[in-house]
Amino acid sequence: MALRAEPPDGGWGWMVVLSAFFQSALVFGVLRSFGVFFVEFVAAFEEPAARVSWIASIGIAVQQFGSPVGSALSTKFGPRPVVMAGGILAALGMLLAAFATSLTHLYLSIGLLSGSGWALTFTPTLACLSRYFSRRRSLATGLALTGVGLSSFAFAPLFQWLLSQYAWRGALLLVSALSLHLVACGALLRPLSLAEDPVVGGPGAQLASLLRHGPFLRYTVALTLINTAYFIPYVHLVAHLRDLDWDPLPAAFLLSVAAISDPVGRVASGWLGDAVPGPVARLLMLWTTLTGVILALYPVAQAPTALVALTVAYGFTSGALTPVAFSVLPELVGTGKIYCGLGLVQMVESIGGLLGAPLSGYLRDVTGTYTASFVVAGAFLLAGSGVLITLPHFFCFSAPTSKPQDPVTEALDTKVPLPREGLGED
Amino acid sequence: MRSLPSLRGPRPPPLPLLLLCLLAPVRRSSEDGRTPAAPFTSLPVREEMMAKYSNLSLKSHNISLTDEEKRGTKRSSELTMVTGEHSNMPVEKNITLERPSNIELTCQFTTSGDLNSVNVTWRKGDELLENNYLINATGSILYTQYMFTIVNSEQMGSYSCFFEEKKEQRGTFNFKVPELHEKKKPLITYVGDSVVLMCKCQGCFPLNWTWYSSNGSVQVPVGVPMNNKYVINGKNANETRLKIMQLSEEDQGSYWCHAIFQLGESEEHIEIVVLSYWVPLKAFLAIAAEVVLLVAIILLCEMYTQKKKKHSDDGKEFEQIEQLKSDDSNGIENNAPRHRKNESVGQ
Repeated sequence: MALRAEPPDGGWGWMVVLSAFFQSALVFGVLRSFGVFFVEFVAAFEEPAARVSWIASIGIAVQQFGSPVGSALSTKFGPRPVVMAGGILAALGMLLAAFATSLTHLYLSIGLLSGSGWALTFTPTLACLSRYFSRRRSLATGLALTGVGLSSFAFAPLFQWLLSQYAWRGALLLVSALSLHLVACGALLRPLSLAEDPVVGGPGAQLASLLRHGPFLRYTVALTLINTAYFIPYVHLVAHLRDLDWDPLPAAFLLSVAAISDPVGRVASGWLGDAVPGPVARLLMLWTTLTGVILALYPVAQAPTALVALTVAYGFTSGALTPVAFSVLPELVGTGKIYCGLGLVQMVESIGGLLGAPLSGYLRDVTGTYTASFVVAGAFLLAGSGVLITLPHFFCFSAPTSKPQDPVTEALDTKVPLPREGLGED
Repeated sequence: MRSLPSLRGPRPPPLPLLLLCLLAPVRRSSEDGRTPAAPFTSLPVREEMMAKYSNLSLKSHNISLTDEEKRGTKRSSELTMVTGEHSNMPVEKNITLERPSNIELTCQFTTSGDLNSVNVTWRKGDELLENNYLINATGSILYTQYMFTIVNSEQMGSYSCFFEEKKEQRGTFNFKVPELHEKKKPLITYVGDSVVLMCKCQGCFPLNWTWYSSNGSVQVPVGVPMNNKYVINGKNANETRLKIMQLSEEDQGSYWCHAIFQLGESEEHIEIVVLSYWVPLKAFLAIAAEVVLLVAIILLCEMYTQKKKKHSDDGKEFEQIEQLKSDDSNGIENNAPRHRKNESVGQ
């Protein structure tokens, strides 16, 4: 079985992009549209809103904390079986949730079970995508991630319709059927053997070497800071608008405006990331700084036109920073260690994500308005972009190689298990 | 028809809680510029009645009417004011009343003709009302006022003031109990599940709530003997909840909640649909089958392309073996090339 020296940059890679597109739609689109079920759960279980919102929080937390597990398993077995198993778990969680009799039941089935399923799907897929592309990596990642924006646009009305036809139990049953498509997406992930794979070794060794990798750690810190602030507008924008005496329907409409500019930003940034020479980290810094400035401007904007303009800009820049964020990693650690690297990053940055929304809510409770929340969020983003400056080759003008900084010396003592990829490569 | 032309100058009496709701203020600016707020004094009859129901609040309502003829002769600025008024259509006012109250209704009629020739009457529905109303005239405005008390549901309805000159002008006050207006979509539930039906009154507080279910037109009370199936409770006075447990397909249909006020009732309709689990399950199984099919297609396609490649690889190997064999058969002169070939293969 021959090892490739370079990622194919196309060919079957585009099928992987398709698979990643549907997966990001089915994982994050479902998560983001879950708010539609929120109202039903509050009424059905007669529980306060805070307790019901834990369902989504647990799901997101498990998805992100479980990412290293997904990555480690993918390194050992290849992404295909892991993602297919993840799809089955995610669908099973939703299926069991349809028969729930209490809120705890939902925490366990949707939060824990579906969350673990999602952990096993998303990270391995993106990592696999990074292995299939090098020159067009950012564009491929950007295209794949548009799935998130488009699906949260489409799924919200779809879920609402399902609720009106089948009530929440039947709707959950059908969302479970929808999540089964993750298995089909997993089947598309043909394994790929790259030249670096024998060198970097098995998951345990990779994790160990990553934790000693300076730039990787700094990058993780930067992403954590960014992640803390990233979700705040999605969580609190509607509430902030209601504070400014907006009606609920126009406020929700403004969120969908952001959902439209989001995928546009992703694709544009993906294309830009491949077209511009030099480290992709610089573009990440650009988009992060812009997003931070926009967030800090939110409290100043009072007029509706200003708020609409800010929201469109926020959607664009926050969407733009996602594909570049994923593209920086292979440049730092190389495609061989990408699975474990991505898993670790997701796990650590999830801490930021978990803290961000409650922190923002706490600031609002203390100060009475969302001004402090938005300003702090902007500050976190600017801090994250500051950390990004410390990454290597930041001020260089040549394109970096996609080889890791210190590969061979880190590699393995013992026998190196090759990833079990039986069906050859493309 | 009664007119008391002696009451010329208005002496405003002490009236508690005056709520003026003007419908179409077409006022000709009178020469003396007086605002006709309270042009009547109270009669002894009314004072007696007020004393009896003095614990009830007083609600006042006002309707303004105008004579059609006026429009043509008025100055242009006032023409723009009267534009849009249709004197052929009755002028109506809807009033929501929850509790027994003292009511004061005032109609004012502006005309250019002779005020004394106007015939003024009050009616409830079609029935002519005989007493308790006053008439006054100031300048070219004719006022009439009717005072009464509403304490039960028979006294609710439509009260109208009529001004008969050449054409009949009419103003109507419609009294209704507060309505429960939430338009609800049917509630979807499943067999064996439980459901909570809720009725809420915005800004009003009924004395009592009752629930009925209906198949067709007959309404049957529900939940009156509270048992395991039905539980009625409400957190506040302005809402009620009916919880139905252990749903079965017979529970499907319409449910009505009635809000009972001292002055009447209003009702709201909620519909329940009871489905069996099989309905969404069928869709689920169909989609699951589709996913299995997709996975099978993808994996089979891949195995097929692998087989093809393997065949072509095998084919290439076969050609190489053939070439070696033919080199072999070429004889000893080819020792050197064979060595070279061996070397290159060995790398």
